[in-house]
Amino acid sequence: MSVESVAQVIASGLLMGLIYALIAAGLSLIFGLMDIVNFAHGEFLMTAMYLTFGLNLLLTLDPLALLPVVAALMFLLGVVIYRTVIRRAMQARTSVWMAQIFVTFGLAIMMRGLAQLIFTPEYRSIRHHWLSDRSVDLLGVYLSLPQLAAAGVCLLGFLGLYLLIARTDFGRALEATREDKEAVALVGINRDLIFALGWGIGGAAVGIAGVMLASFYYIYPGVGANFALVAFITVALGGFGSLGGALLGGIIIGLVEAITAMLVEPSLKSIGIYAVYMLVVLLRPRGLFGYL
Amino acid sequence: MMRKLSAWLSAYIAAIVFVFCAAAPASAAETEVVIGAIYPLSGQAAQVGVDARVAMETAVDIINNSYDLDLPLARTAGLPNLGGAKIRLVWADHQADPQKGRAEAERLITQDKVAALVGTYYSSVAAVVGQVADRYNVPFVVVDSSSPSLTRQGFKWLFRISPHDEMMSTAMFEFLKDLNATKHIDVRSVALFHEDTLFGTDSSNAQLKLATEAGIKVAADVKYRANSPSLTSEVETLKVANADVLMPTSYVNDAILLVKTMSELGYHPQAIIAQDAGYTEPSFLSAVGEMANGIISRGSFSLDLASKRPAVKIVNEMYKKRSGKDLTENTAKELMGLLVLADAIDRAGSTKNEAIRAALEKTDLPGDKTILPWRGVKFDATGQNILATPIMVQFIDGQWRTIWPFGVASHDVVWPMGGK
Amino acid sequence: MKLQGLSLGAAVLALVLAVPLGIRDPFFQNILILTVLYTALSQAWNLLGGYCGQVSLGQALFFGIGAYASTILFTRYGVSPLAGMMLGGLLAALVGLAVGWPCFRLRGHYFVIATIVVAETGYLLFLNWDWAGAATGILIPFKGESIVDFQFQTSKLPFYYGIVTIAAVLWVFSYWIARSKWGFYWRAVRGNPDAAESLGVRIFRYKMAAAAASAFFTGICGSFYAQYVSYIDPDSVLAFNQSVLISLPTVLGGIGTLWGPALGAVVLIPMSELVRAYLGGTGQGTDLIIYGALIVGVATLKPEGLCGLIADLCKRGKRAARQAAGEGA
Repeated sequence: MSVESVAQVIASGLLMGLIYALIAAGLSLIFGLMDIVNFAHGEFLMTAMYLTFGLNLLLTLDPLALLPVVAALMFLLGVVIYRTVIRRAMQARTSVWMAQIFVTFGLAIMMRGLAQLIFTPEYRSIRHHWLSDRSVDLLGVYLSLPQLAAAGVCLLGFLGLYLLIARTDFGRALEATREDKEAVALVGINRDLIFALGWGIGGAAVGIAGVMLASFYYIYPGVGANFALVAFITVALGGFGSLGGALLGGIIIGLVEAITAMLVEPSLKSIGIYAVYMLVVLLRPRGLFGYL
Repeated sequence: MMRKLSAWLSAYIAAIVFVFCAAAPASAAETEVVIGAIYPLSGQAAQVGVDARVAMETAVDIINNSYDLDLPLARTAGLPNLGGAKIRLVWADHQADPQKGRAEAERLITQDKVAALVGTYYSSVAAVVGQVADRYNVPFVVVDSSSPSLTRQGFKWLFRISPHDEMMSTAMFEFLKDLNATKHIDVRSVALFHEDTLFGTDSSNAQLKLATEAGIKVAADVKYRANSPSLTSEVETLKVANADVLMPTSYVNDAILLVKTMSELGYHPQAIIAQDAGYTEPSFLSAVGEMANGIISRGSFSLDLASKRPAVKIVNEMYKKRSGKDLTENTAKELMGLLVLADAIDRAGSTKNEAIRAALEKTDLPGDKTILPWRGVKFDATGQNILATPIMVQFIDGQWRTIWPFGVASHDVVWPMGGK
Repeated sequence: MKLQGLSLGAAVLALVLAVPLGIRDPFFQNILILTVLYTALSQAWNLLGGYCGQVSLGQALFFGIGAYASTILFTRYGVSPLAGMMLGGLLAALVGLAVGWPCFRLRGHYFVIATIVVAETGYLLFLNWDWAGAATGILIPFKGESIVDFQFQTSKLPFYYGIVTIAAVLWVFSYWIARSKWGFYWRAVRGNPDAAESLGVRIFRYKMAAAAASAFFTGICGSFYAQYVSYIDPDSVLAFNQSVLISLPTVLGGIGTLWGPALGAVVLIPMSELVRAYLGGTGQGTDLIIYGALIVGVATLKPEGLCGLIADLCKRGKRAARQAAGEGA
C-alpha cells in the first residue's frame, strides 16, 4: 500500500467525518437542550435534500444559492413539528422519553411515505452545479470539491452555533433552560419559546447539511436511514449536550470508518465505528465531553 | 378529547371487524383470468415495483386488445381458447420482506383466487413465495429474480423465465474469451466489486469461480456494505489493485455513488463490465451523465434489437407512453414474462392449476416471438428457461448498443472505455 | 384485585383460543398469528424496558439468534424445532447476559444507542458469516406435515395455538414476576436507581436477570418466526427495523403494564397489515403515511398509551356511577 493511498483514505475519511458532524449538529442541539432523541432526524435530512432538489428544478438556482432558503424552510419545519407533535408528546405523565421515541418514529414513517407520494421512489441527483463532480488533485490525493465545500460549511456552521450559544442572550437562555428546565420560568424565560427556537435551529442546521449532501449524494425517500444511525452515534460518542464533542465525534467516526474499510473488510466497516463507540462509552460513560 | 379518542378507537375496531367480515372472497367473473403480481411497492426498491406495474399493465393491454405485433396473444383480444377472457392483474406489496411476501401470496391465492402468481424482484421473497405456491399448488412464474438457488430448491410450481446470475456471469467471461480470440484484447486481471446482500454474493461467487477457470487473475474482491454513505476507501482499494477490468454488482444507488467516486478519485480501468441491475437503470444514467459512457453490461435487452425484432420498437412506444421512460432489461422481462404466462394459460384452455402447469412445461416459444434477444423460452426440469441467452451491451453515444455475441452486434466494442 | 387479574387473563385466553374458529381465511389467520407473536415479543421487551426501565432497541439480536439457532439445528442436524426453540431461547439468554455485562454500566440514551450498536454488529456479522448462510439466508425445506418438525402444509391453526401457548406462558410469567420481589426490585431500579442502590438493591444483578428473561422469550419467538415463515436472512430477523417493531406495541399500549403489549399489538399489527394489503398496491406510499400518522396521532393524543386511556375511562365511569348513586340517594 503506497503512501498516497493511505493519505487518500485518511483525507477522505476526514472529509466524510466533517460531513457526519454537520449532519449531527442539529441532532446534538436538540438532544442537549431537551434530552430528546429525534428518530426522524434522518427524515429531516431527506426532506432538506428533496427541498434542495425541488427548488433547484423549479428555480434553476445553484444548490449553494439555495442554502439560506432551505435553511429557513427547515427552521419553520422544526418549529411546526415541535408545536404540533413534540410538545404534546412531552405532556406524557409517565415516561416522556419513550413517548417521544415513539412519536418521532411515527413521524419518520409518515415523512418517508409523503416523500414517496410527492417525489415517487425514483433515485434523484442534482446534476449540474458549480461544484458538480469536480475534484482537486493534491499530490496524488484527490479531494471531491462538493465534499470539501461541505466540510468547510461544517466548520463554519459549528463556529456559528458556538457563537450563538456562547455570545448571545438567546444562547444563555438556551443554556439556562438546558440546565434547569423548571427554574428558568422563575426568571422570566419562556421555556416553550426556547424549545421551539431550539427545534427551529436544529431544523435549519440539518437543512444546511441536506443542501451540502444533495450536491454529491443521491436522493430517495429512504436516504435518511443511511445517515441516521451514524448521526446518533456521532452525538453520543462526543457526549450529549456537547457541540464540540459532536464535531470531534464526527471526525473520529469518519476516520475509523475509512480505515476499517481499507484494512479490514469494506462490508464490515460499520463494525469499526460500533467498536469505537462501545470502547469510548465503557471508559467514559458520558461520551468524550458529555455532561448529560 | 377523551371522547373523541374513544370514538376514533371504536371506529377503528368497527373498521377491522368490517374488513374481516366483508373480505369474503370475491369470485372472479368467468370472463376474466386473475393473476397476482407481488412486488416491492414501498420502501427501498419501490421504484422497481412501480416500473414493473407499468410494464405488466402494458402486457395486459397487448393481451386484452388486438395489436399487429408478432408476440403471443397480441393479434387477438383476450385469450381465444377461453372464449376471449381478459387478463386482470391484482397487485400486492411485499416491501422486500419475505414474511410479507408469504402473507401476500396467501392472500392473493385464497382471497383473490388468482390463477397464477408472478414476481417478485427480490430473490429472498421469491424463495418464500415459491414455497407458498408449492403448498397451494399454484403456478408461480419468476420473471426477474436472478439468484441461481431459486431453481435448485426442487420447487414443483416455480418457473423462471429470466436467466440467473450464473448464466449471466458465464456470458461475461465468454465475452472476454471472444474478445481475445477475435479482437486481440487480452484481459489478464479483473477486480470484483459487489454489494453484501444476496444479489452481490451470488454474482461474485459465480464470477470468482469462472475467473479461476478462465485463468484470469482476480486482483481484488471487494464486498461493500449496500447503501453506504461513502465508497472512497473501497474505490481506493480497487485503484491500488489496478485490474484491467472492473466487474461491479450493485443496485442503482450504490452504482451512482461508485461511478461518481471513481471519477473523483481518478480511477479509470480499461473497462467496466457490470452485472446489469443498477447500471442500466435510467435514474443511474441521468445521475452520472457522461460518466456512463463506455460502460459495458451483461443484459437481456437492448432497444437496438428493434432492427431484428420490429415488435420491440412498438412495445417500447406503448410502455414509454405510460411511464415516460424507455424499456429496460427488468421491465422488458416483466412484460414478456406476463405474455409467456398468459400464453400458457391460453394453451391450457382453462384456469385449472394442473392444466396451466402442464402448459408451462410444454412452453416452446421461439426467440423471434419475444422482445428479448433470447433463443426462446423453454423450461428444463427445474423450471429454468434454458434458452434465455444473455447478450453484452455497451453505453455508446447516449444509448445501449448490443456488442456481443459479435454475430448480432449492432456496434463495435469501444475498448478501452471513454475515460480521460 | 389479584383474582380479578387472573380471571381477566383466563377470559382473554378463552376468547383468543376461540377466535380462529370464526376466522378461516389464511390471510386473516396470518394477521392473528402476527398479532399474538408481537404481543409476546413486546411483552418480553416489557420485562426489560418496562418493568426494569432499561430501554433496549436491540431486541432483534435475540430474535435473530433464536431464529438462526433452531433453523441451523433443524436444517443441518435434523434437531426438532421444538427442542431448537428451547436451545435458541437459552442461547439468546446467554448472549443477553454477555451483552448486558458491559451495557448495564451505561445509562439513558448511551444505553439505548449501545443496544442498537450491539445488535447492528450482530446483523453485520451474520450478513458476512458464510457458515450461517450469510446474505443468502436459509430456506427451511418442507419435509411434510409433522408436529415434531413443526411444519404444516397450509393449515395455520397449529402455528396459532403454538404462539398463543408461548404468549400465555409469558403472560403468566410477567404476572407472577410483577408481584414477586424481583418485580419490586425492577421497579425500584427503574424509578430511582441511585436510591435503590443505597437501599442495598444490587442493581446490576437485577438488570442482568431482566435481560436474560427478556432475551430468552425473544429468542423463542425468533425460532417460532423462522419455522412459521420458513425462510430467514439477516434482513428479516436481525435488522434494526425488527427491534423497533418489537418495542412499538408496548410503548403504544402502556409501558410497564401487564396488558399494554397485547393492547398495542392488537391495534398496531392488524393496522399495518390491512393498510399495506389494501392500500399498499398503489406504490405511492399511502400505506406508510396512514401508518405513521396513526402512530403520531396516538402518541400525541394519549402519550401514556392505551392502558392509560382505559384507566382514565374506568375512572370516569366510576365517577359517573358515584354521581348517579349520589343523585339517587
